[in-house]
Formats: sequence, C-alpha cells, structure tokens
Amino acid sequence: MQTIDITLTINEQTHILAVKPNDTLLEVVRDYLDLTGSKEGCGEGVCGSCTVLLDGHPVRACLTLALEADGSAVTTVEGLADEDTLSPLQQSFIDHGAVQCGFCTPGMLMSATALLKEQPHPDRKAVRKALSGNICRCTGYAKIVDAVEHAARPASGCPDCHTKDTGGDHD
Amino acid sequence: MRLPQFTYHSPDTLQGVLVLLDEYRDQAEVLAGGTDLLVRMKQRLALPEVLVSLKHLDTLSYIKEAPGMLCIGAKTPIIDVIRSDKVQQQAPALVQACERIGAVSIQHFRGTIGGNILQDNRCIHYNQSLLHRSGRQPCHKDGGKICYARDEADRCNSTCQSDGAAALTALDAHLVLNSIRGERREALDAFYTTDGIHPFDMQPDELLTQIDIPLVPGAVSAYERLSFRSAIDYPIVCAGVRLVPNPDDSGCIGSARIVVGAMGRSPLFLAQVSRSLAGVAFDDTAALEKAAKDAMNAAAAFAAHNAGAELAYRQAMVEKMVVRALTQAAARVFTRKAR
Repeated sequence: MQTIDITLTINEQTHILAVKPNDTLLEVVRDYLDLTGSKEGCGEGVCGSCTVLLDGHPVRACLTLALEADGSAVTTVEGLADEDTLSPLQQSFIDHGAVQCGFCTPGMLMSATALLKEQPHPDRKAVRKALSGNICRCTGYAKIVDAVEHAARPASGCPDCHTKDTGGDHD
Repeated sequence: MRLPQFTYHSPDTLQGVLVLLDEYRDQAEVLAGGTDLLVRMKQRLALPEVLVSLKHLDTLSYIKEAPGMLCIGAKTPIIDVIRSDKVQQQAPALVQACERIGAVSIQHFRGTIGGNILQDNRCIHYNQSLLHRSGRQPCHKDGGKICYARDEADRCNSTCQSDGAAALTALDAHLVLNSIRGERREALDAFYTTDGIHPFDMQPDELLTQIDIPLVPGAVSAYERLSFRSAIDYPIVCAGVRLVPNPDDSGCIGSARIVVGAMGRSPLFLAQVSRSLAGVAFDDTAALEKAAKDAMNAAAAFAAHNAGAELAYRQAMVEKMVVRALTQAAARVFTRKAR
C-alpha cells in the first residue's frame, strides 16, 4: 500500500513520517510516536477524548487524516507541561480533583487550553460551552469547570484554589 | 477504528479537483472537513476508492458581499461563518444554525459549511457500526429492501439532519456547482431528490463551490432546533424562518419562508403555510401561533421513526420550534426599528 512522507511538528519537535493514506492523526501520534496521552474513545468524533491542537485549534485527531495535517503544528497533552513543571491548567485540574478515571482528561485539557488561549479569563458559561464536545463519565463536570475557570484566576471562595498560596503559613 | 483503504489526492487547483472527479466519478468522494465522511467510512457505510482532498483549495474559503447577495465559499469553516459580522447582520438564522453544529470547540474548526449541506441523510437504523448492521437484513440505504424506520415502506426514509441546510433553505439560498462541463446554479429548495438513498440533485463529477444568500431589504430570520444534547447531537426537529416586511412600512409581513428540518428527506419548505402569513402584523402572536400549528400539521406526515425520539413528540415539537423561530424573527424587526 502506498505510503506518503509528511512533516509534522509535534510538541515543537519536527518529525518526518511515512504514513498510509488511511492513518488518522490519532494513530500516528499514538502508534508511530508512542504519545499515548491522546485517547481513542468512540473513534467517531463524539466523545472528544482524542482532542489535540492543530495549528492552535482543537480538532478530533480520530477524524483527521494524518495526510491532512501535513505541515501543521500539533500539540498533544504531552506538550503542555514544561519538563517536570505542569501547566497552570494541569495543576488546577489536580488541585480541584477534576481527574477521576482520567480517560477524558487529555481531551478536556486540550479543549480548555484552546479556550484559555483565546479567553484568558472565561466565565463559567464560556467554559461549559468550550467543553461541550468532551464527555466525562465520572466527575459530573462541576470540578472540571471549576478547574478551568480558576486556572488563571484563583477564586477567593473556592476551597480547592491554591492552598499553596498561603504556603508560608504552613511551615 | 481503522479507516478502509483508499488512494489520496490533494490537488492544488479547482481545475485539478474537477478533473479527478470527472475521472473517478462514483469511485471518488470529496474530503473537506471529514467530520461526516470519515465517520461513514469507519462504519463502512462509504467505501470510496479515491479521496479528493480540498486541503489546498483555500480559495474556496471566503465570505464576501456581491450585488444583492452574500456569497460564502463552500470550504469556509463553520467557525468563520459564526464569527462573521456580515452573516450575523444579514442572515442571523445561519449563524444560529452554525453555532449548533457539532461541538463548539472542535467540529467548528474542521467542519465546513459546504460539508454541512452535503452531509448524507441519516437514520438511526442505518448510521450504525458494521457489527450492528450485520445482525439483520440490510435496509434500503444499505442496499437491501427493508425499511426499519417505517413499516412496509418501499423506499428509504432517511432524514436530512443538516442544521445549515434548513437555515439556508429558509434564507432562499442558491448553490453554485462546478464541474469540468461548466458551472450551474440551483436553488437549495430544488436541490433535493426526495430519494433518501441519493438525496441530492448532483452529479458525481460536480463540486459545490459557493453558497449565495440573497439580500432582501428589511428581511429578518431566525433558526431554532431541538436535540438530545446541545453539543454533538444532530437535531431531531428544527425550523428556519425568514420574514420580509411589507414595503409600505405598515408593520406587516410582506412574505415569509417557513422551513422545517430533520423531519423529511430534505428540509421542508412549507409554501402554503408561508403564504398564509402575508399581510399579518409582526406582533400578531395569534397568527404566528396558528401558522406554527399549520406547519406542524403539514410536516408531521413526513416523519418516520428514524431519529431516536418518539414520533409523536417530534411532531408536536415542530409547532414549538416554528413558533419560537417566528417570534424571534419578528422581534428582530422591532429591535432593528428601535435602533
């Protein structure tokens, strides 16, 4: 079967890959590059767990041909942290208990990252709208929405928001 | 889920796409955003030998005003339509429809307006996995002779569940189709065949390139839809309306277009009900409610058990969707006057 060479910049690393026409972007990042953070849930564009950023915009990696992504910059969940330092959004997910089984988390993080890039201080409605394409079967969404809403601006009334801010007091 | 095998082409020019479509005809499918086609391919409902990608045809992605109309390139991403001030001012029904397509953060960036119009008709019995379908006789759309949506039906009862098509039919949009034989223009409400298996009056070598929305002075429009979940799900009932004021400035409707979507094999333009609104005052709530009831009675017969919801519920909701759309559109006349 024909293979075609494509260039993908994934998490700021450039890869030249020989892919088959029917490889999806998800299969390439998971199977070729072992970046297994992005998950395949439904495989039909319904659940959102495969969400990655393609040139900064959130897309379903399971419904994007690798060939269509040729020449693009892809960010997966592995590209969010700066080595061992989590992104503020990732830290906020942990602080707020927004992760339970964790399957939807990579997709949630990517959709939320795209939102925060456009709107650094989204209100609750905007967060819910931005995450409406991602399904979570554990958390009931409230903690996830809290985590995104408070990622850039900790809320004074929220018990989960940075107990660390007053870290000096604990010594 | 793996995609089936195919050969991939991504021509740099429109002419290149048209030549390939002419060469491969039925064996080829056009790939724009892929949010409809790739799912059908994964479910083995579509098995094209060749995919012709529009990846390089950015020339088909635009929103511009021409004399008397608004022109939208077929490959324009849904998100660009939503964010366009021109569309928001001239055709708010289309913005309302596009906001409801797929999931906000994701499919809006891949899906295109042309792809939304040309998405295949759907049916809850047909749009299923190969495993699901292998357990029973194939239906009409799947190459068999049975309809699971309507007892004893001798033909396919799939539904056009496109949000964009219902809104654009209400806006009296026209499509521009290109092939190597030339270009043709067709009204959207005449574009449907009423055959659920092949719903569009379109040859295999043709490509949808542009959507034209006529700009009628003073016209107002609105779109309403009902679905199980607000994101991702297809509508189970939707309604698009356009109201044009009487030119004598009497505060009355001059002409109306009421379209009910997700009920039949195509968006249903209800000509008789629409005509009944001529001469009615914009704030005549009773008349708008009566038109909605008539719309429900006219559209109910087209519905089949193909969208998951109980049939009687969907039929009853036609009235609600139409009355909401009419009320919203009428309210836009007054907000415009107040400005």
